[in-house]
Amino acid sequence: MPSGDPHIIFDDVSYRYPNAKRYVLKHVDATIGRGEFVGLLGENGAGKSTLCQTINGVIPYSRGGRMHGNVIVDTLNTRHTTVARLSQKVGIVLEDPESQFFTTSVLSEVAFGPENLGIEREEILRRARRALDVVRLRGYEDSAPSTLSGGQKQRLAIAAALAMRPDVLVLDEATSQLDPVGTREVFSLVRELNERHAITIVMATNKGNEVAEFCDRVLVLHRGELVAQGTAREIFADGELLDRVMIRASQASQLATYLADRGAPLPSFPITLDEARRAIIRLLQDAA
Amino acid sequence: MSALVEYTPGDSFFHKLDPRSKIVFMVMITVLIVIVENLWIAGAILLTLFLLWLIAGLSLSSLRELATPMIGLAAFLLFVQAILYPGHRILIQPIVPHPIPVIGGRGSVTLEGILFAVLLSVRILAMVIVLPLVTMTTPIHIFTLGLVRMGLPYRLAYTMTTALNLIPLLQAEANMIADAQKLRAFQVFEKGGFLDKLKAYPALVTPLIIGAMRRAQLIAVAMDSRGFGASANRTYIQEIRMRGQDWAFVVVAGLLGAVAGAADFLII
Repeated sequence: MPSGDPHIIFDDVSYRYPNAKRYVLKHVDATIGRGEFVGLLGENGAGKSTLCQTINGVIPYSRGGRMHGNVIVDTLNTRHTTVARLSQKVGIVLEDPESQFFTTSVLSEVAFGPENLGIEREEILRRARRALDVVRLRGYEDSAPSTLSGGQKQRLAIAAALAMRPDVLVLDEATSQLDPVGTREVFSLVRELNERHAITIVMATNKGNEVAEFCDRVLVLHRGELVAQGTAREIFADGELLDRVMIRASQASQLATYLADRGAPLPSFPITLDEARRAIIRLLQDAA
Repeated sequence: MSALVEYTPGDSFFHKLDPRSKIVFMVMITVLIVIVENLWIAGAILLTLFLLWLIAGLSLSSLRELATPMIGLAAFLLFVQAILYPGHRILIQPIVPHPIPVIGGRGSVTLEGILFAVLLSVRILAMVIVLPLVTMTTPIHIFTLGLVRMGLPYRLAYTMTTALNLIPLLQAEANMIADAQKLRAFQVFEKGGFLDKLKAYPALVTPLIIGAMRRAQLIAVAMDSRGFGASANRTYIQEIRMRGQDWAFVVVAGLLGAVAGAADFLII
């Protein structure tokens, strides 16, 4: 549960890639609380991936380019902290599973990060087993990552991040290449990490249904600017905003908007399927 | 096309060797095949690699896939060397008649030329086979560990093996691009002439290079994000050990290599 204590602070962050004229992030100011599950919404090219990569210092360290402002994680300013040091605070899962695996077995994949830190072998194995337990991939230690399903691959990527013992997990479109089953798998696991292991979650995604169901709060990016933040209910009820930033709400809230526009007196504004079901039953009962 | 350098799990003698013995073997074969000039000896080396390929339980179809692109190259070598190699035993009389000044009398096909072209083809084929023979029988992280234990800095070792790791991904991507082009009735690579194909290559290669650069960038981000380079004393959960069979393999291969080299030196 969110504690209100700030965990990640974006302080007037602007950034442009090397050799690019246009800034892809413009004056982003936001605070993410410890233990929060935050969704990052925005159309393609809105700056979601870029913002994700500022959290673990890959931007501007590895990528180069020009960054203004500061990103603070815990008390560390990413400007003055190496990516390697930040890798123990912030785990990141990327969109394409193929590009984030470097070995040919599940176990060695999870061990890759802790190996880089020079941790003792027994401790690495302990961490790896623990991480595989959490993502429910025990028993797959010797399998090749390429033989796993899409959902399993992303769970492996999460385990690989967890083995570094981070307290922030950033997922950059980690479900966009997955089918609905894989998407659920990843979201449920991430919620569990958030609730049971108190890991702060930042999830860039376009999947409105899951955002409605899982996220405590939503940040909306549009052309590099943070244009709105609030609960999923506040964001999804704002039709004008959604049209302007070209993102789609959850199907339940689309239905709610449709009904409200046609004068159906919904008792509340539903954003999840379950809420919509209950609201419509109430509506029908009232009508009867 | 299957991934040609990608690790193929197996239980063979060759799979079980320490990566260091295989790396030493690979380097030795590469050097030997370049210095050997006797066709029979070069052929024997190629045959040995072929036998090892079978012993390692690797598929003949992937061997065929590796060798097929070499046929065109071999044909080209044969053509060029047969005509240009300064041999004595003339098989076919000069293409250019003697009375023509300067170039007259050239272009005769000689036995030495043909033999030299065959030798070059054998060399190239051996070099093309020996790398996958090692990479297909060694998991990539074990291969990397072998390089590190042989004294290579681990960043360099990872750069090399990550590049190797990219090959199967690029193969898959190239196939995907080719399929996408076929779906839009682009048939130059099946039906077109040589020049058409040459002209069509940019259409295949451009997206491939852009994709490769994008992917390299992503891999760098992913590696950095997992603390790559954080510690000078990186640990490895895998252990590798040179056992009796490794030393035996290296010694036997070394002796056979020395015999082949010496025989070649004495014959020439």
